[in-house]
Amino acid sequence: MPVDAVVVDGRPGLTWMNMSGIELKEPFFQQTVDRVREQEPWRDAGLFTEFDALLQLDQLLARVEPAGFIFHSSRCGSTLVANGCRALDNAIVLSEANAIEKLLARFITDGGDPVKESLYSVLLRAVVNALAHRGRDDVRVFVKFSPCGISQLERIRRIWPDVPWVFLYRDPVETIVSNMTTVPAWLLDEDHRILAHITGTTPADVAEMSLEERCARSIGNFFATAHSLANDNSLLLNYNQLSLTSILDFFNVSPSAEELDRIASGSRIYSKEVAGVREFVPDAEVKQKSASDRVRQLAQQFAMGPYNLLEHGEGL
Amino acid sequence: MNTTALTPGKHVVVTDFDGGEGILVDLNTKKYYQLNETAMAVWKALEQGKSVGEIANDMTANYEVALDNATRSVERILDNFQTYKLLTAR
Repeated sequence: MPVDAVVVDGRPGLTWMNMSGIELKEPFFQQTVDRVREQEPWRDAGLFTEFDALLQLDQLLARVEPAGFIFHSSRCGSTLVANGCRALDNAIVLSEANAIEKLLARFITDGGDPVKESLYSVLLRAVVNALAHRGRDDVRVFVKFSPCGISQLERIRRIWPDVPWVFLYRDPVETIVSNMTTVPAWLLDEDHRILAHITGTTPADVAEMSLEERCARSIGNFFATAHSLANDNSLLLNYNQLSLTSILDFFNVSPSAEELDRIASGSRIYSKEVAGVREFVPDAEVKQKSASDRVRQLAQQFAMGPYNLLEHGEGL
Repeated sequence: MNTTALTPGKHVVVTDFDGGEGILVDLNTKKYYQLNETAMAVWKALEQGKSVGEIANDMTANYEVALDNATRSVERILDNFQTYKLLTAR
């Protein structure tokens, strides 16, 4: 399986690991990779190939059409949804896998070159295909993207025009508070090129911004993008209306009684917990109360308008 | 030019994209080429062993183009494929 997209000696490509028979049971793909590296280090032989090897492999594999895409604006229940999909029989969830995310990022960092754009589209399709092949034909594949993934929705839809997609979002104040409590990697964005693209600013501007402002501007953009690109193939859902069954129904999945039991028991557990023991506690009220005036002002300035578009179809 | 003497190189991987376009990868040089819909149609026809005349006839059936123009287009595309060493002799 391709487990990361990297550059070795100036050559862009993929690192691969033997993941045969490994269940992708952790909330995030890279957590599974880390577990396998620790428990069965022999599976990671440090294999690196350039991208042409991926395309050669793609020639040999039947094409897998994902059953659904999960986009989100961060800290809004997407991991819970991914875990629900994972609880289905014969389902795999590719949750924010490095190889997928880094190829998506290249659309931004290498943007403007139509040949590269087509190439990255082909590579993205191939990497999802390679990750989705688990030795069975009846697998339902769900792909959960990182928050920045929504900014590439048009390109993703060009590759998979028929795959239904959900966009999960949450009140911007609660989202910013949550992201400040535990700052995610996407918000740090090492050289700031991704966030500059998303926020319509420059990397120098992003470097000057507080984390709160980066977050407010970014989620405002995520909301606006989802709203503008919504169509018959999309479901936009607020965290406070989150319903796994309605999402599965939207993905044309009718869970069995056993699957529903597994989903129900899983949804009582904190969704990002690898061990699956920390119980989920609703926290919207706490987050609202702990928000600073600055967070409220930034949310109002950069995210509330697009949020209201999602909620009411109009900016306020 | 008689394409029956030429065939897509075994060192080339082709992937279709976006309903007709394609990406070629030359495994020898690690170079990537984007093919438009017409070039992709020519490549696929070469894979089927068709001649220039047959490929041009296919084009006139699928597009509003005169046979002589289609023939010139096919020959130009084949020249490009050969320039980049993407074809081999049968």
